[in-house]
Amino acid sequence: MFSEAAIKELEEIRQKYPSARAALLPAIYIAQKEFGWLSQDAYEAVANALGVPKAIARGVGTFYAMYKHKPLGRNIVQLCTNVSCMILGAERLVDFLKNKYGLEPGGTTPDGRFSLVIMECIGACGTAPAMLVNDDFYENLTEEYIEEILGKYK
Amino acid sequence: MITITINGKEIKLEKPVTVLEAAKSAGIKIPTLCSHEQLEKYGGCRLCLVEVEKIPRLQTACTLMVADGMVIKTETEQIADVRRGILEFLLINHPLDCPYCDKAGECELQDLVVKYGPATSRFKEKKRKVPGGLEDPILVRNMERCIVCTRCVRMCEGVQGASAIAVINRGGHSHIEPFSGGRFDCEYCGNCVSVCPVGSIMSRLHRHSYRPWQLMSETETICPYCGVGCTLVVQVRDDIIKRVVPRIGTPVNNGLLCSRGRFGYEFVGSKERLTTPLIKKNGMLEQATWEEAISLVAKRLGEIKDNFGSSAMGGIASPRCTNEDNYVFQKFMRVVLETNNIDSTARTGFAGAQGFIENIFGQGATANIIPGLSNSDAVFIIGGDPTAINPILGLQIRACSRGGGNILTIGHIKGLEKFNPVVLKPEFYSETVLLEGIVSALKNKKGLPGSNQKLEAKVKGINTAVEEIGEKCGITEEDFTKFIEILSESSTPSIVIGKEIAQSSGGSYKLLLISAINYLMNARIYLLSERANEQGLLDMGCAPDLLPGYRTLTFAEFRKRYETAWKVSLPEKTGLSIFEMIDAAKNGSLKAVYIMGENPVFNLPNSKAVEEALKNIDFIVVQDIFLTETGKLADVVLPALSWSEKDGTFTNMERRIQRLRKAVNREGMEDWMIIAEISKNMGAKFNYSEAEDVFKEIARVSPLYRDMTYEEIEKGDAIYPYKGEPLRGVTEEIQVHNPPEPPLSKGGLRGIAAGKLYLRLERPLFHSGTLSRKAPALVNIYPEAVARISLATAKSLSLKAGDIVKVSTKIGSLELPVEIDKKVDSSAIMLSNNFEDKGAFSLMEYTIDPVIKAPCLDGNEAKIEKVK
Ligand code: SF4
Ligand code: SF4
Ligand code: SF4
Ligand code: FES
Ligand code: FES
Repeated sequence: MFSEAAIKELEEIRQKYPSARAALLPAIYIAQKEFGWLSQDAYEAVANALGVPKAIARGVGTFYAMYKHKPLGRNIVQLCTNVSCMILGAERLVDFLKNKYGLEPGGTTPDGRFSLVIMECIGACGTAPAMLVNDDFYENLTEEYIEEILGKYK
Repeated sequence: MITITINGKEIKLEKPVTVLEAAKSAGIKIPTLCSHEQLEKYGGCRLCLVEVEKIPRLQTACTLMVADGMVIKTETEQIADVRRGILEFLLINHPLDCPYCDKAGECELQDLVVKYGPATSRFKEKKRKVPGGLEDPILVRNMERCIVCTRCVRMCEGVQGASAIAVINRGGHSHIEPFSGGRFDCEYCGNCVSVCPVGSIMSRLHRHSYRPWQLMSETETICPYCGVGCTLVVQVRDDIIKRVVPRIGTPVNNGLLCSRGRFGYEFVGSKERLTTPLIKKNGMLEQATWEEAISLVAKRLGEIKDNFGSSAMGGIASPRCTNEDNYVFQKFMRVVLETNNIDSTARTGFAGAQGFIENIFGQGATANIIPGLSNSDAVFIIGGDPTAINPILGLQIRACSRGGGNILTIGHIKGLEKFNPVVLKPEFYSETVLLEGIVSALKNKKGLPGSNQKLEAKVKGINTAVEEIGEKCGITEEDFTKFIEILSESSTPSIVIGKEIAQSSGGSYKLLLISAINYLMNARIYLLSERANEQGLLDMGCAPDLLPGYRTLTFAEFRKRYETAWKVSLPEKTGLSIFEMIDAAKNGSLKAVYIMGENPVFNLPNSKAVEEALKNIDFIVVQDIFLTETGKLADVVLPALSWSEKDGTFTNMERRIQRLRKAVNREGMEDWMIIAEISKNMGAKFNYSEAEDVFKEIARVSPLYRDMTYEEIEKGDAIYPYKGEPLRGVTEEIQVHNPPEPPLSKGGLRGIAAGKLYLRLERPLFHSGTLSRKAPALVNIYPEAVARISLATAKSLSLKAGDIVKVSTKIGSLELPVEIDKKVDSSAIMLSNNFEDKGAFSLMEYTIDPVIKAPCLDGNEAKIEKVK
């Protein structure tokens, strides 16, 4: 069930679109904010709130990689392993995350602190390797630097 | 006139169509995968690409509209190359597991690959895996095969209106899933199965049990379930029904089916079918030969007739049997047993409602074409959910809404809630006031037209103010005014009436009010019908007051006609209705009853009392395909052939006569033949050797079906009023019965707050009487009886879904799991009457409306308590 604040936000968003379906993307975002990730219940809540069939809501949401479809850790590490980052050692960094934090690609640390998502080029090839932690951007990564960065996220 | 050229052939077209349709009309085939004649245009698969002169790039024939002078080529080297390329892309992921796939042989992808190649793909990577797909009891998904043409999604959303499935994920990972990702939990119409070009969504009922080319026969026949009368094709191998499919172009359902029609066929092959006659000896039913059984029935019926007279005998006919069966049945009752005590479960609503409406508007008032509903600009619905009771008719209402028509409902109708209905939801038991209000408002707006004096005399005095509606029905003036505005402004309205009207207090009075609305609006009436041949049974004269041809028995002139035809003299007195027969059984005056294809001990309200009453009867014959609750009480049980094992005709709710055909062989006799045999044993000559002989007699004697032939019916021409004489001008006084509706409020409180709950009947989409119990697929979808309660009731009794409760009324109790349904009225508990020993009717008492003779089921107070 949505909080009252979320319901209000949904109503406002709905007004901005000509049809309920058009409002699905921002509505799914609200649900993600509200519930942390997009469970079946979250989709059902979105569908009911907008009056859109729930199968359709889920179909739309699953198209986009940036919605979360499983519970993730408190902090999301998005590490690039595409060509430039790979050449400059991103794969070693993946191993480092695995050994040091028990963090596997697509996985979450047992304490729920971090989740790791492997990215395909985040547009920082000139300063590779690069990653995002939540909405913060980091470049020229080394093992020590990563340790320092992650120390800031609890 | 538009002239185009395709492959050098000149084609003239009246109106603009797509290139694909134009080509088809000229017999030119363009390959397609995503386009389908039942669906909206899509243009996704690109297989239908064609060359159009003066347009530089290839165009999709399925979306491009023709323009005058277009020159099109559909098969060139360039096109073949492109098609090969598209197919190669599809084969990157398509598993090519044809040897194992049930679709092989009728797979559109397979056929196209055969024609355009390539044999293999150059793609070396592994094909995708999509786990799961076997979670549902009815529909198997095999999503590795999915080519994402979205036909199923467009069918489910744009035609069926269920929106239960969608494309999920993206790119090479996209495929189709129902919301749960596993079970469909949808309406199970299976229409998605019909349109899938490959083997991605298929029926589980025949999985891996045959190949399409091994079918031995395909027979076009009519659905055995409801009064819509959908055409379906029964596919058979080794006398086992393998699959039931619809056919595009058939008049009523045009390529669509509902769950019952498509998946409900397995009862035919059930191991529980009766195989031999049974005779009760020392209280036990024992197997007997046909000779024994028939001569016993003839002897006992003869004795009872001699000793107690004809009025001590009664017959119950069947809305599941053919016209031929029912005609012979009533002829037997009238000519051999010499009684008019003939009735059926049509008396529980349909018969009385139709009689009432026809008395006002003339015969044929309800004979309206079902697909016509979608062209109405407003549909007014009352007394039941058409999408559950008559699903294919329900689809027409959904289509009406999609096309911009208004859906106006009295009460909440679940199957239409996504179709922008304008709903007036009167407080429980205040419908009459609301209907009076609507009649009053329409009279004010439109004025009485003056053409039907009898009706006007009845409604002239009705004057219900908006305030009264607010007070008694809890409906705001604003809502009411909006509803009236939409209704009164409609120019092609339809009215859909469900059985709940006839089964509620003041049923005849409510029908009068609805008739008045019909009259004031100049609308078309659709009377929902729960059984396949409810209409036909009445047309055949299986009613205590009707002769074949829907002719009133009490008119000497009509009686004479049949006396001449049958060379007998007929009993003059109107017979007993089914409820009067039960009363007569109770008081001991009914000594024998012949029941054909009906299960009154379960299908009549207050079923325990019906059972007790029947136990009083000296001699009961039950003719059926299963040993029902009623059969267990019988002295003789006669096994009949079932639907799909016999020929004949059904007449649907729009009064279209349609042909039922035999599709599987089984030893035994049709219902009519058994009765003819018994007649012969009783000294009467019923000489028919096949169903058509019976129909020929019907066409000879019945003024309604006059000169009809199987040939004409097969051509699809058997639409009311046929070539017969509809009955006109024989109207009687309009009578109504208007008792006060059951009181509800207690100190201003209602429903659970007042400590009062009422039992209401649920009519589920997936079941139909007691027949669907023997169809495993339908049972798998909806496996057990539940007590449906409102959120308010659940809260106040601290109940959660799945808790077992005891529901009790004055006459009995049942233990059932709870289901919580937000849309159930807080004054109601909904129970179905489909599951053995768990039928709502065992808890419901009734009173009879003296005019329409239907049972009023209102006011059955119920208590509910938690068991565990
Ligand atoms: S069976 Fe009918 S309701 Fe269910 S997914 Fe298929 S089309 Fe939709
Ligand atoms: S399941 Fe069948 S109909 Fe549906 S998208 Fe896939 S291939 Fe097309
Ligand atoms: S709508 Fe009625 S007749 Fe048509 S398939 Fe369904 S049950 Fe059969
Ligand atoms: S390859 Fe890593 S940011 Fe571009
Ligand atoms: S059939 Fe025309 S694009 Fe698919």
